Amino acid sequence: MTELTAPNVAAAPTRSDRRRKLLQNLLRGERPYMLYIAFVVLLVVFSLSSPWFLSVDNFLNIGRQTTLVSIIAVGMTFVIIARQIDLSVASTLALSGMAAALAMSQISNSWIVGAAAGLGTGALVGLLNGILTTQLSIPSFLVTLGSLSMARGLAMMVTNTKPVIITNETYFAIFGEGTFLGIPVPIAWTLVAMIVGILLLHYNVFGRRIYAVGGNPTAALYSGINTKWVTTAAFVLTGALAGLAALVLSARSHAARPDVVQGMELDVIAAVILGGCSLFGGRGYILGTLFGSLIIGTLNNGLVLLGVSSPMQLVIKGAIIVAAVAFTKR
Amino acid sequence: MELSGSIAAEPRPSTSLLMVGGINKRFGGVRALRDVNLEVRAGEVHALLGENGAGKSTLIKILSGVHAADSGTIEIAGKPATFDSPARSREAGIAVVYQDLSLVESLSVADNLLLGREPRTRFGFVRKRELMARAEAFLGELGIPLDTKAAVGSLPFAYRQMTEIAKALMGEVRLLILDEPTSSLTSDEVRILFDAIGKATRRGVGVIYVTHRLNEVFEISQRVTVLRDGANAGTFVTADTDMKRLVNAIIGTDRLAPAASRAAPAAARALDPSPVLSLSDVSNDRLSAVDLTVMKGEIHGLAGLIGSGRTEILETIFGLRPVERGAFEIEGRPWLPKSPADAIDQGVALVPEDRHVQGLVLDHSIERNITLPRIPRFSRWGFMQQRAAIRRAETAVARLSVKAQGASSLVRTLSGGNQQKVVFGKWNDPRPRVLLLDEPTVGVDVGAREEIYGVIRNAARDGSGVLVVSSDLVELIELCDRISVIVDGRVARTLVRGEIVDAEELHHLLQIYQASGQGVLQELPA
Repeated sequence: MTELTAPNVAAAPTRSDRRRKLLQNLLRGERPYMLYIAFVVLLVVFSLSSPWFLSVDNFLNIGRQTTLVSIIAVGMTFVIIARQIDLSVASTLALSGMAAALAMSQISNSWIVGAAAGLGTGALVGLLNGILTTQLSIPSFLVTLGSLSMARGLAMMVTNTKPVIITNETYFAIFGEGTFLGIPVPIAWTLVAMIVGILLLHYNVFGRRIYAVGGNPTAALYSGINTKWVTTAAFVLTGALAGLAALVLSARSHAARPDVVQGMELDVIAAVILGGCSLFGGRGYILGTLFGSLIIGTLNNGLVLLGVSSPMQLVIKGAIIVAAVAFTKR
Repeated sequence: MELSGSIAAEPRPSTSLLMVGGINKRFGGVRALRDVNLEVRAGEVHALLGENGAGKSTLIKILSGVHAADSGTIEIAGKPATFDSPARSREAGIAVVYQDLSLVESLSVADNLLLGREPRTRFGFVRKRELMARAEAFLGELGIPLDTKAAVGSLPFAYRQMTEIAKALMGEVRLLILDEPTSSLTSDEVRILFDAIGKATRRGVGVIYVTHRLNEVFEISQRVTVLRDGANAGTFVTADTDMKRLVNAIIGTDRLAPAASRAAPAAARALDPSPVLSLSDVSNDRLSAVDLTVMKGEIHGLAGLIGSGRTEILETIFGLRPVERGAFEIEGRPWLPKSPADAIDQGVALVPEDRHVQGLVLDHSIERNITLPRIPRFSRWGFMQQRAAIRRAETAVARLSVKAQGASSLVRTLSGGNQQKVVFGKWNDPRPRVLLLDEPTVGVDVGAREEIYGVIRNAARDGSGVLVVSSDLVELIELCDRISVIVDGRVARTLVRGEIVDAEELHHLLQIYQASGQGVLQELPA
């Protein structure tokens, strides 16, 4: 039968074709222009109204502050494209940080042990979220609402709510305070997460499956795709990235605390939705997510520089998120 | 003469209920409707025919207030009307029953019938008993056999549709528009539907009946209007016309030749005697001891009423339903289908019944859809070989002559027939050993239907064993080498081509088997 040797279908693409393809790839999704425009507008507004905003140091600052949200948002992009939601990421981060710190203080003071414990704990929470969602057919909203509470509770239980001090200098250098090719490591790890996300989602067969499962789970099943496995994998990825974020945070503060980043899941979800993911599944892209979290990070930073009070910051941030989604959604 | 635009002699004196004159509608650069006229009289069933894309849906959407016409007039009972919203159209007494239904699945039939007009007490509570009584009385008067207490979601599709029609008739409806109401009904259910339509017209309701099934036109309509390429292609008095003339008007004379060549079903073909798939004694929750063999190159039909287990046989072979008992062989080797992935590995392919729900990811491109079941083949070290996937999709699009701008077009933008071709394209390469088809031509227009028949015949000629479920008995007789009659989850009888020559006869046989119930396996008169 005809193998894939179809002779000279599609002649060599012309340059303008290729340019259009490139543009399409960059702007994958339906409403990316608005996203970039919104980001630029934000930059311009803050640059004009605050003398400190427009500086390399401040941008690195924004990058660092955005790290946690950006890293986890990569995983959340997979979860939301697959028509699911993960509310447990902030608690998972807290629990993973505790696991990493405890492993280093109790088992062996090696950065590898700490990293393995942190990433492993995050992945395990993700696995449980995925299995409960797919095997018991409980909506992931409810499953992760439960694990949000359980993971936070566990994180507090293990030390009776006390922080755990970390003393490993290598660990600090790798995840928190060092630089890699001149880039502060938290930002380097964000880039690693982004690149892995882009490769997985846009170039790997896994990405094809994620889009299909989110676009139409029944059709995916009827096409021989193991929809349960694919959905579970998205949760595991998100959990592991929450673990990575925990390593970055604990290395920066030389300690793991059980009460960190409460409510951050909302920033993560907002970043992904701002970035053009459809809550109904099947649509979204990593580059959009990056800009989504940059917008949120820039907002946080800019409002502080302008001296806006923190209750007012919350109001403005919420309003801008709703307005941006309403505006770009059509 | 076939395109006589004028209306022939009146069948009986009656008043004009709907008068549509010179309607034009553009979508961007496309002229969807050009000076379209349509007249429907009170108490008349007026069939509206045309291929997909001929403008039927646009016309209906204008009548139902979804779109506004660019120019032209609409008169209801002699009074000019403009519809700027579906609500206004509804007020004027126009009700549309769409293919995709608008019922609340969790509510009962009675609740749905009176949705929004429930009888209430002074305090706003629903008078449940009165609601039931009114629904029952109404259904009784129409003679529609529906259980008012049943939740709509639990009903078979045909009964949901009847609920939908009953709901439309419950209001002050003067014009009822039915958009392909029979596409998934069995012949018995079609009968009930036609009865219900008859009861509506006797009350003076006018009916616009959109269909692809020409035999129904002759059975139920008084007049026919045909649209082609967005313009009137003729209005006929049904009694004065024939099938040939209608087909001619629908597809245009220049395209008549290929359609004519398909006539006369050939006598039984000599089949390759090697079975490609066999089931023996296969049972599960819906099947009881199914014995079935599909030969290499055979087109094997499964005929039966809705709920007889036809679809479930396909689903079991495709690994979607667990097997409790029995044995499978694929090309002589024993095999047990465990999952769709497993079935696909063995060379089994399924074109499912509902292409929107089961077959396609509508918001994704043709290429993404076509690649879906073959992803592992395009994986190198886990990375997608995008270019190879695009090439395969383009080949499939060309081979199946899918009308689309390219493999990157979104499936949602295609017509029904072209969407169905995309579903076939998923399995185009490599050739499946066993091709399972569930209602392959539902909602597909006349032209595309012929093309899909061609695709099915080619697959069989290339050596696939084809197992096809269809409610359209004419289709089964035209396509199949053998037809198995399915009753209560078992094969009641298998007929070889030539044993049965027309749909009437096959329909009769189905009825006999259904009536005689389970366990009757002795020979019955054909």
